[in-house]
Amino acid sequence: MLTYDVLIVGSGGAGLYAALESRMEEDVQVAVLTKVYPTRSHTGAAQGGVNAALANVDSTDSWEEHWFDTVKGSDYLADQDSAELLCREAPQVIREMEHWGCPFDRTKEGKIAQRPFGGASKTRACYAADKIGHVMLHTLYEQGLRHGVDYFNEWVTLSLLHNGQRCLGVNALDARTGKLHTIQAKAVILATGGYGRIYWNRTSNAYGNTGDGTAIAYRAGLPLKDMEFVQFHPTGLRRTGILMSEGARGEGAYLLNGWGERFMTRYAPEKMELGPRDLISRAIETEVRQGRGGPEDEVFLDLTHLGAKRIMERLPQIRQLCIDFEGVDPIEEPIPIKPTAHYSMGGIHTDINGLTSIEGIYAAGEAGCVSVHGANRLGGNSLLDILVFGRRAGVHALEYARKTDFLPMPKNVLKMAQSCINGLMEGDSKESLADIRRDMANLMADKAGIYRDETGLTEAVNKLEELKERYKKLRVQDKSKVFNTELVAGLELGNMLDLAEIVVKGALSRQESRGAHYREDFQYRDDDNWLKHTIATKGTDGKPVLSFKPVTITNFQPEARTY
Amino acid sequence: MSEKIMPESEKITPIREKILANIRVQRYTPGKDKSPYFDNFKMEVETGMTILEVLRHIKNTQDSSLTFRAFCRSAICGSCAVKVNSDSVLACSTQLMPILKDFGKGSVTITPMSNMPIIRDLVVDIDPVIEKLAKMHPYLVENRERVPKALEQESLMSQKELEKFNVMTDCILCAACYSACSSVKTDSNYAGPLTIVKAYRYSADPRDNFSSMRIQAAMDQGLWSCVQCRKCIKVCPKDIRPADSIRNMRQISIEVGIHDTPGSRRARAYTDDVENFGQVNKPMLPVIVNGTKGWAAIEAAEAGLKKHGMEPTRQVCTLPGQKVTAKIYAKVREIEAKEKNQGENKV
Repeated sequence: MLTYDVLIVGSGGAGLYAALESRMEEDVQVAVLTKVYPTRSHTGAAQGGVNAALANVDSTDSWEEHWFDTVKGSDYLADQDSAELLCREAPQVIREMEHWGCPFDRTKEGKIAQRPFGGASKTRACYAADKIGHVMLHTLYEQGLRHGVDYFNEWVTLSLLHNGQRCLGVNALDARTGKLHTIQAKAVILATGGYGRIYWNRTSNAYGNTGDGTAIAYRAGLPLKDMEFVQFHPTGLRRTGILMSEGARGEGAYLLNGWGERFMTRYAPEKMELGPRDLISRAIETEVRQGRGGPEDEVFLDLTHLGAKRIMERLPQIRQLCIDFEGVDPIEEPIPIKPTAHYSMGGIHTDINGLTSIEGIYAAGEAGCVSVHGANRLGGNSLLDILVFGRRAGVHALEYARKTDFLPMPKNVLKMAQSCINGLMEGDSKESLADIRRDMANLMADKAGIYRDETGLTEAVNKLEELKERYKKLRVQDKSKVFNTELVAGLELGNMLDLAEIVVKGALSRQESRGAHYREDFQYRDDDNWLKHTIATKGTDGKPVLSFKPVTITNFQPEARTY
Repeated sequence: MSEKIMPESEKITPIREKILANIRVQRYTPGKDKSPYFDNFKMEVETGMTILEVLRHIKNTQDSSLTFRAFCRSAICGSCAVKVNSDSVLACSTQLMPILKDFGKGSVTITPMSNMPIIRDLVVDIDPVIEKLAKMHPYLVENRERVPKALEQESLMSQKELEKFNVMTDCILCAACYSACSSVKTDSNYAGPLTIVKAYRYSADPRDNFSSMRIQAAMDQGLWSCVQCRKCIKVCPKDIRPADSIRNMRQISIEVGIHDTPGSRRARAYTDDVENFGQVNKPMLPVIVNGTKGWAAIEAAEAGLKKHGMEPTRQVCTLPGQKVTAKIYAKVREIEAKEKNQGENKV
């Protein structure tokens, strides 16, 4: 049996930072388990920047202002003590990344450069051209190589093992060989990213952002928090959901419906295309629902009036994205777009050290929920979250691993994992998993996406039960042990169905609109009744049980969130 | 909300063509198949579809056992590199319609990348590449004159210093260059383009202090094996020009005084001979480059010439143009010295 002091599941920024931090003194054995290769994790897709009040560009910036922006952006659902830590420690983690070689762009003085970002009161986002996530991910991976972190690439984690009080390890599948393994660990850090793929093709997320760690934790009895909050970005490409950055609208792009109307006149006559993300997403959704979308329920981002010269000069990368991924040249024709699920605010409930309710089990990054993003994440704070809380989880897990011993592993722990796989291989249905997945995604986009109401959400609860029944009978057609991607997709679908159910139930129970959660039947924020976190735990009947936890307010009393 | 009806002429009607295409995919499952074979899938391809979308469509609707890698589908993770009509590309950022139209055949062939063992269908084993990479010390080792110990300070670095290696940090380890590399093809021990790119990226970073170890690692893994065929430059989806990094890494190795490698001796012989004779002393090159081992090659070449009735020579004559080339050399040295001075003054 493989044995590690600290085992990290997931290889994005949070996982790699945690791994590096716990391996820094090279006195404990640390491994990263990842279903891809570390440098392929979705952290790499982050383009814009990472917030830290370094005050390199605007000398008046301070971590306190960053703190306020974060709390306000969260629509006051963030725990203010956690958000304080996030902003206080930001300059340190950014400098640590810099010391490890991360190639941030530079100011004239040779310091880390910063750029303005939506929702931020000061110029605060540190960046590296349009590839900040990519260079952070590679820097962390490479330093991990230097310090002797072990990487298990293309291993799929199946279940989390604990004895009710303490961590034991995980079960995992080596996708290359099809073999199942138990890995014993004193501490396990779950850092598997978000669950945006419950909307399948209507997400900017990678194929693998299926919330594996979150679902595994839930099935192991750990509570999840604020799962109903999923941030949508208004402008994803029609076919793939790949983001068209706000830069295009900043340059003067029009949003047109299928009739060629600049429809934002109806929703934000002054700000027009530069209104806040959530408002634009809802405007697009309304146009489409009222039959004014394009041939495939898209709307259009039109740059043609800017002219070839300006597009080539100012938006060359956006143009290339459209050509490569959509086959459309924005100089010639409008870009078809749809709102796209972008970020999962909810996740595994943890304290400020990433610790869950079980000793030795941690979560960090988008998989976890401390909570610093509350109901709506501020741009530039997702990369910061993975650094600050990846690091904290790594430090804490290291201390824990140093002072504890391995627990004896009970026999037959692989049995459950084996039967789960066998179940998928031997179902009796002729249905393909792609069909179930597509139906789940359409249901989630229609009933639990940008617009939500009681009727739709109730319908979604029932439909999800049907989908889960269909899933139980699913039969994976590919019988090969070697690199069975259909089996992996089957496992992921199981995870997504579990999480979709929790998202829908949380959304149904929360009778208010806050941040990314918009209820047509409760259109306003209700601090008297809903200034609280939703906690979901797996009940004895296998269904989620909801409870609530007050928000920690230390410094900022809730105000209206206007920009 | 107003329900203004717009005139029909302003309605946006995107032109989305559809073609019935034949997608030819190489298949292979070890343990099941004796050798690779091709499957043909017929499907309707629409404007905008990428190779990756096509593969996923086939997997979802025709054959769920079709095996390939994909993750970010936005050209930043490097998972989905395959060969399309023999070119190594990222499946996610390669539009199919222009390819179908270019060839006019409505058909496309997708095969796994070369130079790496096939695991299954389009999935190849990149671990050998990662192992070679790991040997290159591909990480920053802090130069304490530049990198502060305390987290209260940043290291200072100018944007100009950053630009020296910035483009190399775009590498996504997709291994398309490795697949296309003609030197890896003939020598599987050769490190391959991307690993040297990473080595050079850190060696060119002023915050780093480990360049000499990295040069040694690169030489141990065949730094001089690259034949500068530039196929890596052609296929790189991020335009990072790996062959240039290899050249730059060689230059650093010469600059730090490592002249006792076949490659640097060859480079030196070329530059010195052209200056001194106006041409390369080709007859003696094997010995200059490979030492006494080279005599066998020279003798074999001479025997060949004799067989065809030609008298071999080991002398090289000075060409009439030598004076001109010597002048060019002098001019280059002058400019280099000037630039160096300017550079020092700036710092």
